[in-house]
Amino acid sequence: MKFYIDNLPIVFPYDRIYPEQYAYMCDLKRTLDATGHCVLEMPSGTGKTVSLLSLIVSYQQFYPTRRKLVYCSRTVPEIEKALAELKRLMTYRLANAETEEQKEKERSYTGLGLTSRKNLCINPDVAKEKKGNVVDARCRDLTNSAACEKGRADPGSVPLCEWHENLGKLEQGNQIASGIWTLADIIEHGREKGICPYFAVRRMMPFVDVIIYSFHYLLDPKVADQVSKELSKDAIVVFDEAHNIDNVCIESLSIDLTRPMLDSATRSIGKIGERIEEIKTTDAAKLQDEYAKLVEGLQEAAEQRDTDDFMTNPLLPDDLLNEAVPGNIRKAEHFVAFLKWFVEYLKTRMRVLHVVAETPLSFLQHLKDITYIERRPLRFCAERLQSLVRTLELSRLDEHAALQKVATFATLVSTYERGFLLILEPFETDNATVPNPMFHFTCLDPSLAIKPVFERFSSVVITSGTISPLDMYPKMLQFTPVVQETYPMTLTRNSFLPLVITRGSDQVAISSRFEVRNDPAVVRNFGSILVEYSKIVPDGIVAFFPSYLYMESIVAAWNDMGILNEVWKNKLIFVETPDANETSIALENYRKACDNGRGAVLLSVARGKVSEGIDFDHNYGRAVIMFGVPYQYTESRILKARLEYLRDAYRIRESEFLGFDAMRNAAQCVGRVLRGKTDWGLMVFADKRFARADKRAKLPRWINQYITETASSLSTDMAITLSKLFMRTISQNPNENQTGVSLWTLEDVEKAQAKQRALALEAEQGHEDEAMDEDDEYGDGGISDNAIMEVDLDI
Amino acid sequence: MPTLLCTAKASYKKIPGLLELTDTHLQWTQDGKKASSIRVPYVEFLSLFCSKEGAAQVRLKLLLKGDEAGHNFTFLSPQHVAYSEREKFKKELTTIISRNRSVTDIAPRPPVTATAGVVSAPASSAPTPKPAVSSLAPSPRPSTSRAPSVGSDRFTTPVIPGNDHASDFRLRKNVLLSNPDLATLHKELVMSGQISEAEFWDGREHLLLAQAAAESQRKGKPGQIVDPRPETVDGGEIKIRITPQLIRDIFDEYPVVEKAHRENVPSKLTEEEFWGRYFQSKLFNAHRASIRSSAAQHVVKNDPIFDKYLEKEDDGLEPRRVRPEVEDLFVSLRATQEDHVETGNEKDVTMQAGRQKGALPLIRKFNEHSERLLKSALGDSHPSKRLRTGDKKLYSQIEINDLNDPEASSGIILEMQDRQRYFEARLASMAAEQAAAKKALDLKSILQEAKGNLHNWDHVLKSPSHQLKVERKPGEAALFTMTQNVTARLDVRSKKNDIPDGLFKQMTACQITANEFLRQFWSSVYPPLAELQTISVVTPAQRSAKAAKMIGYISQTPEKVNILKAIAEQNGIDPNRIETAMKPILNAVESALSFYRTRKPGRP
Repeated sequence: MKFYIDNLPIVFPYDRIYPEQYAYMCDLKRTLDATGHCVLEMPSGTGKTVSLLSLIVSYQQFYPTRRKLVYCSRTVPEIEKALAELKRLMTYRLANAETEEQKEKERSYTGLGLTSRKNLCINPDVAKEKKGNVVDARCRDLTNSAACEKGRADPGSVPLCEWHENLGKLEQGNQIASGIWTLADIIEHGREKGICPYFAVRRMMPFVDVIIYSFHYLLDPKVADQVSKELSKDAIVVFDEAHNIDNVCIESLSIDLTRPMLDSATRSIGKIGERIEEIKTTDAAKLQDEYAKLVEGLQEAAEQRDTDDFMTNPLLPDDLLNEAVPGNIRKAEHFVAFLKWFVEYLKTRMRVLHVVAETPLSFLQHLKDITYIERRPLRFCAERLQSLVRTLELSRLDEHAALQKVATFATLVSTYERGFLLILEPFETDNATVPNPMFHFTCLDPSLAIKPVFERFSSVVITSGTISPLDMYPKMLQFTPVVQETYPMTLTRNSFLPLVITRGSDQVAISSRFEVRNDPAVVRNFGSILVEYSKIVPDGIVAFFPSYLYMESIVAAWNDMGILNEVWKNKLIFVETPDANETSIALENYRKACDNGRGAVLLSVARGKVSEGIDFDHNYGRAVIMFGVPYQYTESRILKARLEYLRDAYRIRESEFLGFDAMRNAAQCVGRVLRGKTDWGLMVFADKRFARADKRAKLPRWINQYITETASSLSTDMAITLSKLFMRTISQNPNENQTGVSLWTLEDVEKAQAKQRALALEAEQGHEDEAMDEDDEYGDGGISDNAIMEVDLDI
Repeated sequence: MPTLLCTAKASYKKIPGLLELTDTHLQWTQDGKKASSIRVPYVEFLSLFCSKEGAAQVRLKLLLKGDEAGHNFTFLSPQHVAYSEREKFKKELTTIISRNRSVTDIAPRPPVTATAGVVSAPASSAPTPKPAVSSLAPSPRPSTSRAPSVGSDRFTTPVIPGNDHASDFRLRKNVLLSNPDLATLHKELVMSGQISEAEFWDGREHLLLAQAAAESQRKGKPGQIVDPRPETVDGGEIKIRITPQLIRDIFDEYPVVEKAHRENVPSKLTEEEFWGRYFQSKLFNAHRASIRSSAAQHVVKNDPIFDKYLEKEDDGLEPRRVRPEVEDLFVSLRATQEDHVETGNEKDVTMQAGRQKGALPLIRKFNEHSERLLKSALGDSHPSKRLRTGDKKLYSQIEINDLNDPEASSGIILEMQDRQRYFEARLASMAAEQAAAKKALDLKSILQEAKGNLHNWDHVLKSPSHQLKVERKPGEAALFTMTQNVTARLDVRSKKNDIPDGLFKQMTACQITANEFLRQFWSSVYPPLAELQTISVVTPAQRSAKAAKMIGYISQTPEKVNILKAIAEQNGIDPNRIETAMKPILNAVESALSFYRTRKPGRP
């Protein structure tokens, strides 16, 4: 359908629209018009992505500026889904375009998705590698500019990638025809045409209207610098599924160092040293050249970045790029010695057998006291290493990954003073006796990584199905939104039933609280919930546990108690495993079992691999059971440090943050069951702590509003009765017409707009009226000025 | 005549008899009787148990689907003979049971071959109904509500008596077996030769179809993982009951055991030794793969034979068995993992997957077991329902269906012959109607009348003669009749049903047969439905002959009733009661007879 918001024509690729979608689009447009940021929460499964894309594409196509859209999502399945939505939208737009001119405009609209080499590579020799960083390294060896130059000058001397070479023959900006390409499409296209999909996307990036990739490509400075540098300032940036954005921010600036890594770094340093000696004898001029360049500054390096993306300086400020590299690391052998010292220092630190926590400043001070390494050269470490690697033309960079990490660490630790903490943990767990030291360099402040994004781009949209409480995000990420909105879900009949089970049929309270979680009574009661639901719910059931540790132990316990045998009678059982591919196979089979009617149970972990990006709509998930509250492990030192920081810097109480974090993850898990308003599902929260009002208040409004008073504290048998009743009613044909209430036709949209206009007009008039008789401001209570004037005073 | 696979003398419930295995059934006939009292079709077999070797009695127990109690047979021959007999049965039955368990083979459906025989070929080559296994949850029997829906396509699916004799005969027999009432009717009418087999089944095709559908729907494998749990017998001894079924399941679940069995029995170990050692071996404990096994560690012995087959524990973060990568990006978790460089701090202890080493093999076993079950039902690469090609498949996973306007579909155009005439006729009739209506309705007079009626309506209501008051008498009368009604019913209820059993049975039989005759009669008198002709094209002559034959039977009914009445009188029961009971059927008979009489002269 096609309608107008203000005077912007919107093409929406369906015949109907949900009222919340309309409201969402209006608010989104307001944000774009104001060139500001916004936080929007829209119920899961009500077509958030499609409304977002539909509005933004309409916006881009209507205004001549054609602001580029940068759409970030969490996982590859979500990226692929967003691309599919976009493709569907553009097909619809093209089919419904009125004039030939418009059609041409729609046809020229281009959208691409970007992911890693590992996911896109079609060179069979390279793609067969299992590890992503090996693929990266081998790809670089075949495609970097030095190798290409050599290979082209003297064919056969250096192995080159055939697909990359074919791509190079194509005209810049024309590697891929216009249109929308999903990741699967682009790979297939690459295979057909014999061109490299990864570089095709990379090279096309300046020319596309939409680019869809993961958060890291924008937030992680190591990556962002390579891929997102050229994005113009007026681009619209969207973070979809942004409920965990603070964690991504923190992740992208945190680093772990272990003993084996340091050993590997030492080996790399040795190898590089040897190579330098070798070059000195064969091609000394090369090193001299580099030295000269470094005196001039890193500008040259910055230009090089585009083609040879080895390791880039995490967040190297622009002014530094123009500065000369400090003298003591300019010479290659000096730099190698410098690195050696630094690694040795870290190794010594790791010998300590007690936990150490210190700030970057104290670390640098200690470093200076012991080794005389200054802060300034440390800041250039990553950049200097990159320059050296290029000069030496090293291959198989994956072997030097540890050294790269050390260099990144050096740069980060010397760049930031606040918001970071170094934690040295000599033992893996509290009761371990064999030391396995780990150096955590942990970022505590999520706003640091996202700050450049807010500063650079005028419109940043943060949106998700579960992003309550809304004010938490601006607080944590340090920005001011112009619009901040959450939408309730309009339903003509309740299509989902949230239930809180607080006790088993035997009235024993259930909880995943650490003290009771392994209590046999609790384990059995959790088990009987699963058994009972597997008896009454058709097709798929998804169960989430608060952690891997708990899931693995409870699965074993259930097996021993014979609980799983009861489940086997009704459904197949699939469990998330540590291996991603293995879990994917289990997921595929789970879906098959749901399609086939055999039915299955999927056991997985909140915040785990499955909880993000995989949908369990329709028959893939008729019930979600949340066993326990998915709190984070509070004994973790990193978490403790973060909580402390949040309290001191942003006045966010520990318990508040922990509760918020647990509930957003719980909501995320249960929200996966719905797509569309005719889809239905049960949402079971099994923990007595869910019954508390302050916990439930942190759930998104659209879930919370449907938890009735009776359903907020149930025993298992009561919950089963309610669920049966619900399923019986929901399985009836919906007689009432949703149209007009929870489903709008074009007329409904226009009606709503007319109403809104009338209201606005009224408000305006009211305002005018107010302005006119300002005199009445004080109401009837006082005496008017005139009255006073008119009074005859006998003076 | 079904061929006999094996026979043996065996007792059932302590009554001696003959146990036989034919190519379709297992049956047991009591000595001195002709008909076998137990007949179990192959599909019913669930599992098999045998008494221990060396036990005093040689026994065989067969569990059936839907009847967990099963049947217990004791072989009566001298022991060594009995053994060999039982082994023979065991061998046959185990294969049948395992065949039953594997769902892949779909029951032989009546083939859709139209033989030019007694009946003509079906008009259109009919699409066979999809094997229900692929999309429906397996249910052992069709519910009654399913039958009509199956019946509705009977005209296209030619399961016609006489088409394929063997399978059809089996079907009919199964229908009769599962429906005792129908069986008695069949016995009385067909076996006594009153009506032919074909006539009997005419109009009952849906039953056959339902039966065929039920048989073709195979129950999937049960989901439970085979896990022989040892029982503790007094004296601290631990015992595991081994049945042939269990052995089969173990082989299914753990191919490595089958391999070991193949390689070692009987060359190195006897059957008995093999299992004895297996259950004590590390291999068995590895297969149980639960936390419990650590508790049982002390009973586990090193075993040179079985330890060879021991595989390394599959508890690494990556599975031992490397599987091809999942291509579908919508479920690919690996792609996300590889989407960007790993960053950030290590996850805390509780969120590191795979730290419970003991649980990992168990979890992997669950996934594999589920996959195996699924494969046994779907075949190796069953395209999932949502799997479509290209963009359609892509969109089907993201589309929100309720946002599409269902009415926007183009619909099916009604094709009408001679459209013009239809509309013209309608127009004409409408015009006529309107004209008539105009004539009839004179608004003015109607209004006037209404006004007159309403005049002084409040007075009318108020006046005493019209007061709204309930008359006492009718109320009482109503109450009285109601009470009477209740007492009458109570009376009936309290009266003992004193018709003797034998007579009652005769009455029912008489009623049922008469009904059947009536059914046959009317179906032969009334013109058949158009579609029905595909089934049996019966010439009018045949039909009238049949009607005549039926009417002959029907006319005997009053006589039969009279006989019943006479018997009742002998037994000292009021014949009037019989009369009343049989009244409806007699009425029906009467109307059929009168219909026949009046029709007769018109059309010979």
